[in-house]
Amino acid sequence: MNSETYLPSARDFEPTVSESHVEQISRPSLSYWQDAWLRLKKNTRAIISLYIIIGLAFFTLLGPVLWQIDPALQDLNQISQSPSLPKKAILIGPYQRWSGVILDDFPAEPEEYLDTIPAPDNIRIHDVATTQRVRLVWGPVEGAGGYNIYRNQRMPEGINDLGLPLGSTLGGNEVSYEDRLNLEQRQYFYSLVPTDGFDESDSYSTLEVTPQLAITLDKAKNRGLISEDSNDLGGKISLEFHPMGTDYLGRDMLARLMEGARVSLFIGIVAPFLYVLFGIVYGGFAGYFGGKADAMLMRFADFVVALPFLLFMILFKIAFGIGPGESGILPMLLALVLLGWPATARLVRGQVLQIREEGFIEAARLLGAKNHYLIIRHIIPNTMGVILVTLTFAVPAAIFTEAFLSFIGMGVAPPTPSWGSMCNEGVKTMLSHPHELIFPATFISITVLAFNLLGDGLTEALDSRMRSKE
Amino acid sequence: MRYLIALLIVASLPIQAQFDATSADFEKQTISIALAQEPPQLNGMKATDQVSIFMLSHVMEGLVRYDRRGNVVPGVAERWEIDDTGATFWLREEAIWSDGEPVTAHDFVFAWQNTLAPQTASEYAFILYPIKNGEKVNVGELDPSKLGVRALDDKTLKLEFERPTGYFIKLTAFSSYFPVRKDFFESKGDQYAADVDDLLFNGPFVLTEWVHSASLRMTKNERYWNKDKITLNEINANYITADTRARLNLFIDGQIVQTRLDGETYKDALTQRFRIRSFSTGSVFFLEYNHREDRPTRSLNLRRAIQHVFDADEFVNSVLGTPGNRAGRSLFPVWLRGVDSKFRQEYPAPEIDLDLQKARDYLEKAKQELGVEKIPPLVLLVGDSPTAGKQAVYMQGLLKVKLDIDLKVDIQTFKQRLAKMTAGEFDIVGAGWGPDFDDVMTFGDLFASWNLNNRGRYNNPKYDDQVRIAMSSSDPKTRMDAMGRLQQILFDDAVILPQYEQGVIYLMNPKLRGVVRRVVGPDPDYTYARVIK
Repeated sequence: MNSETYLPSARDFEPTVSESHVEQISRPSLSYWQDAWLRLKKNTRAIISLYIIIGLAFFTLLGPVLWQIDPALQDLNQISQSPSLPKKAILIGPYQRWSGVILDDFPAEPEEYLDTIPAPDNIRIHDVATTQRVRLVWGPVEGAGGYNIYRNQRMPEGINDLGLPLGSTLGGNEVSYEDRLNLEQRQYFYSLVPTDGFDESDSYSTLEVTPQLAITLDKAKNRGLISEDSNDLGGKISLEFHPMGTDYLGRDMLARLMEGARVSLFIGIVAPFLYVLFGIVYGGFAGYFGGKADAMLMRFADFVVALPFLLFMILFKIAFGIGPGESGILPMLLALVLLGWPATARLVRGQVLQIREEGFIEAARLLGAKNHYLIIRHIIPNTMGVILVTLTFAVPAAIFTEAFLSFIGMGVAPPTPSWGSMCNEGVKTMLSHPHELIFPATFISITVLAFNLLGDGLTEALDSRMRSKE
Repeated sequence: MRYLIALLIVASLPIQAQFDATSADFEKQTISIALAQEPPQLNGMKATDQVSIFMLSHVMEGLVRYDRRGNVVPGVAERWEIDDTGATFWLREEAIWSDGEPVTAHDFVFAWQNTLAPQTASEYAFILYPIKNGEKVNVGELDPSKLGVRALDDKTLKLEFERPTGYFIKLTAFSSYFPVRKDFFESKGDQYAADVDDLLFNGPFVLTEWVHSASLRMTKNERYWNKDKITLNEINANYITADTRARLNLFIDGQIVQTRLDGETYKDALTQRFRIRSFSTGSVFFLEYNHREDRPTRSLNLRRAIQHVFDADEFVNSVLGTPGNRAGRSLFPVWLRGVDSKFRQEYPAPEIDLDLQKARDYLEKAKQELGVEKIPPLVLLVGDSPTAGKQAVYMQGLLKVKLDIDLKVDIQTFKQRLAKMTAGEFDIVGAGWGPDFDDVMTFGDLFASWNLNNRGRYNNPKYDDQVRIAMSSSDPKTRMDAMGRLQQILFDDAVILPQYEQGVIYLMNPKLRGVVRRVVGPDPDYTYARVIK
């Protein structure tokens, strides 16, 4: 008998492998945030704004480490300097009083009053003209009982165009004058008008002078520009470098802008963060529970909206016992937080009211989800877009409020700068030294614009309805 | 904020200079001016501020007045005699009130009694103290009728002095010495000086229109005894603003004849090619310390330390930066008269040697004296003008760098600052003093222990002694010697820190002539002004 028998092996008893041929998604799946980021990246304006904000953060935090100049240090040698490269100044000795030139052989008062007194001639510079002092000497004229000295920054075109009246000498024999008034290294035209002691003559003569930038030895040593034992009179040294110029007391603008940014950005970020947080909790609570609680909470929010911000800021300032000359930043922060939240609260409440009626909330509830799970897992993430957008729009508003309050003198106390108070100081010299206003104003504008554009970009990126439209 | 920005743009637009507008009219001889504020008090017995005194001096006249060159000339009084015991004034027949009644000696007696009466509470009552019993009447010890002044008849005024007062004649030009008619004053009651119809005038001009907080108009007084010397027919105060930029724009538009310039506006005036004039106001500005027992500034060493680091020259040239100011060295400004020439030539102010090492030595002593490791932060009280803020920040930087003292800057409005000064709520205060009359005493008695304007409560019997010597003598040499010693005490004790003697620069319509800028008296004085073609 010839028959084959099949011997079963262990393999035959293994269960079959179930194979499924479900379609594979070749691209990685995108979460809500990844998608938002992708769309934000396509928005050039928003990305540039983001870089600007990052740059500002570096400017504020890292800047003072790299640029270690005391923002309160006054450099009266370089008042209201425009942005420029470091300047060279000659070293001179300490200032010494000058008795001037008074002639003994010439009458102090005219012997007879002439109808026209001729203009003095031979005006010349005594010693060297420096920005520390310019000393003028001239020849006396017949009939003069004194001389008036004028200074202009361009060639005078006539007797009404002589410029600043610097002063006058008290006799016809006093034929010198020392000018120390705010001298800069630039062209000056000094004019002399003789008087009979009371009335001015119709004639004048003019001298052109360009003083040399100078610094006294003592000051150079005090400021650490030269070593203590150096005695190089007449030598040239470099003055301190102010890349963005100086303000009306010779303080470094760059250092002040960095210091000012701290105040501005501190208020600009902390205040919105705090009140948006409070607004979320408040609005979320009102929206989720609804009913009577919602009505009462929202009426209270309406009440807070009606409160005047400036009045509260002043009240807090008094209540905190913040004396004169002390910073008003804390009451400002408090007033911003206490009065700023209703807008966020309303927005969040509206969102929550809408979301809690959605089907997926119902479904989750049916599956047994508790309140706190619903809020954390479903409601908050879905309102996140709105919240972020509010936050980015609240930041520039707060920066602007701080700038405005410091501008009107309610904010920082001198010498602490903030961008707003710097604008306030700069606006006084707007026409003569525009950089003192333009720099802080530009910083405020750019910061506010950057946050606004970023906010715009985020609105678009985070709007889930836009998600599948591209 | 948007309005502010819009305003700034408008302000910076180039505006062409023109003078054909209405600010000075040759045909009509009228001018337009701007006032810094509405006159707060036109009752001459109570007026204390500059604007009120300016207005009053144009519409009223005292016994004497100042001429164009600042000399005392007859006013209502035709002639007078003054000796150590008293004075007699003979009033002119032609002096009449704006309602046609004659100005009599009784009007002066009434006004002076009333100014000194305690219920009037005039802040300037002290200026009448040279009259016998003046102070006693003012404090309520005596009835006003006991004041040492009486009318011998309608046109003769006789008064006795409390003590010899060499400068009395200069006082009688001041607004507190102006006459007031009793029957008119009493018929008006509380309404006196509240409006145009509630005032009587006897000066070169009369107030004819007063639109409250908008404008005032003064018209030539046709009943004024010296009306032939007055050329202007009308002075219109059409604008009330203290803002120098607004005033400059009004001037550029030809709306006002005169405006003052400050550190910033003068640059615009230069580019507009205006003739800039300068004038010394005669006021002295200084930092006054609080000498009260609970203040760190009571320490002489601390004050000396500050004295040795403050460079008045640098302050005037670099911080103030406008021409005309003079570095402060003393409480007494340079224009004051001494015995024969200027006071400061005869009694030079002590020189301060700026010495950082000395200053730090004084500071160490001050710390030991006060028993502190570090001087507590000092409060610097200043006014709310832009320049005041700038000066305060400069001081803050100076004291921090040189002495490591922290200053807190307290910026307050004028009224509030005055209240705080009176209450003593400061360590250092930026103060100024303008002269009331042309004598050293107007500055000298400022820090006497009894003077209410001595806000820091400085109290030094030696200082008081010198003031008494100068007050009770009529010999110029004795008086000036006392004031010279007083100047030295002020320096040695570092009672104040003199900052500057104020000078101002201003623009004046070139068609206007004869305007007088005064150190003492109304400023500017348009009484003798005229408009040329």
